[in-house]
Amino acid sequence: MEELRYIEFDNYLNHELSDTELKSFEEKLKTDADFKQEFEIYKALESSLASKFKNEEAEKELRNTLSSLGSQYIRPIENSKKETKIITLFNYKKLMVAASIALIISFFLFNNGKPVYGDFSNHSNLELVVRGKNNDAIVNAEKAFNSKNYKEALQQLTILSETQNDIEIELYKGISQLELSNYVEADVIFNKISAGNSSFVNKATWYKALSLLKQEKYEDCKRVLKTIPESAEEYKQAKKLLKKL
Amino acid sequence: MDQKQHTDHIYIEALLKNDSKVLSKIYSKFSHKIVSYVRKNSGNADDAQDIIQETLVTIYHQAKEKNFILTCPFDAYFYLLCKRRWLNELKKRGNKRVTILEDDTSITEEQEQQVEETEIFEQQHQLFESKFKELGKKCQELLKATFKIKSMEEVADFLGVTYGYARKKKSQCMGKLTQLVKNSNEFHQLKAY
Repeated sequence: MEELRYIEFDNYLNHELSDTELKSFEEKLKTDADFKQEFEIYKALESSLASKFKNEEAEKELRNTLSSLGSQYIRPIENSKKETKIITLFNYKKLMVAASIALIISFFLFNNGKPVYGDFSNHSNLELVVRGKNNDAIVNAEKAFNSKNYKEALQQLTILSETQNDIEIELYKGISQLELSNYVEADVIFNKISAGNSSFVNKATWYKALSLLKQEKYEDCKRVLKTIPESAEEYKQAKKLLKKL
Repeated sequence: MDQKQHTDHIYIEALLKNDSKVLSKIYSKFSHKIVSYVRKNSGNADDAQDIIQETLVTIYHQAKEKNFILTCPFDAYFYLLCKRRWLNELKKRGNKRVTILEDDTSITEEQEQQVEETEIFEQQHQLFESKFKELGKKCQELLKATFKIKSMEEVADFLGVTYGYARKKKSQCMGKLTQLVKNSNEFHQLKAY
C-alpha cells in the first residue's frame, strides 16, 4: 500500500496522472496531513538529489578553483609566519615570488612613473638539460648568460642552435637579444615560440610583453599581458605589471 | 518573486559560472576578516580556508537548486555564514577551552534572514545526503543513475532491466528514503517545515 503511494508521487511529478487521478491526488494533499508531509519530503528529495548528481562535475571544478584561490590568497600569509617549519622547495619558490614582489613594490615607491623593463627582467638562470656534442658551448653559454654577459651568451647559444633544435635555447637567444636591445630579432623569436605549443608558450608571451615594455610601447604591452592565462606561472607577474601600466 | 537582486549578486553568479576572476575578488576582499576571526578563536589559516570554501560551495548549491537571489551586501552575509560555521566546527571538535570573541559587526534583519535561509538549505542538504548513504547499495546506484541520466528508458538500459521495473524500483527507493528522512530527529529540528 505504502509502495503505491510513492508510485503515485512519482507519476504526479512526471505529470502522468489522468484527470480523475489528479483530482483525487490533490484532494488527498488537502485532507491527509501525513500524505502531504511525505509528498513534500519526496519532492524536496527529488529536487535535491537531482541537483546534486547533475552538478557533481561542476562542483568538482568549482572546488578546484576555490582551493587554488585559497592557497593563493590565504596560505602564503601562514607560510611566511611559520619560521620553524622546513622550507620545502615548493614553499621556497613561493617565498622567492613574495620576495621579488616585495622588491618590485619597494622599487615603485621611489618610482612613480611608468614601470620600467629593469624592474621585471629577473631572468631565471639558464640551465640546459639537454646535453649533446657541444658540452663546452653549453657550459660557456650558461656561464655567460648567468653572469649577464649577453653578447657572449648569444654567440654561444647561436653555435648551439646550429646543431640542436631546442626551444629553450631559442628562448634564451631571444632574451639575450632583448637584453642587447635587438628588438626585431628578439620579437621574431618570442612570437614564434608563443604561437607554438611547447611548454614555453607562456614564458615567451611574457617576454614578448617585456620587450614591448622596454620599447615603451605600453598599450601593446598591456594587450599581450592580458593573453597570459591564470594558470601560467607568469600570471602573477603579468598582473602586477598590468596594474602599474 | 519580487526579490530585488543586490549588485553583489555577481558573486553568486561567479560561483555558478566558476568565474575565477570574480571569485578571486571574494578572496582578496573578504577572506582577510574571516581568517583573522578564525585565528582569534583557536583556528589557523587552513581552517579558515576550509570554512570559506565549504561556505562558498553551499551557496553554489543553493543558487543552483533554489535560484538563490542575494538581496543584501555579500560581505556581511558571507562573514556571518563563515563565522557560524566555524563556531559549529569548534563545537564538533569538542573544544571546551574556547572563549569566543564576539565582534561588533552589526547585521540587519534582512541579512540575518538570508543567512538563515542558506543555513536551513545546508542542513536539509546534509540530512538528505546522510540518509541517502543509509540506503542499500542497489538503491543508491539506481537513484544515482536516475538523476544523472534523466531519461528512465536509458536508466533501464544502463542497468539492464525493463523500463517498468526501473520505474517501480525508483519510487520504492525514493519511498524508503522519504521514510528515513521523515523519521529522523534532524528532520524535526529543521525549521523549514
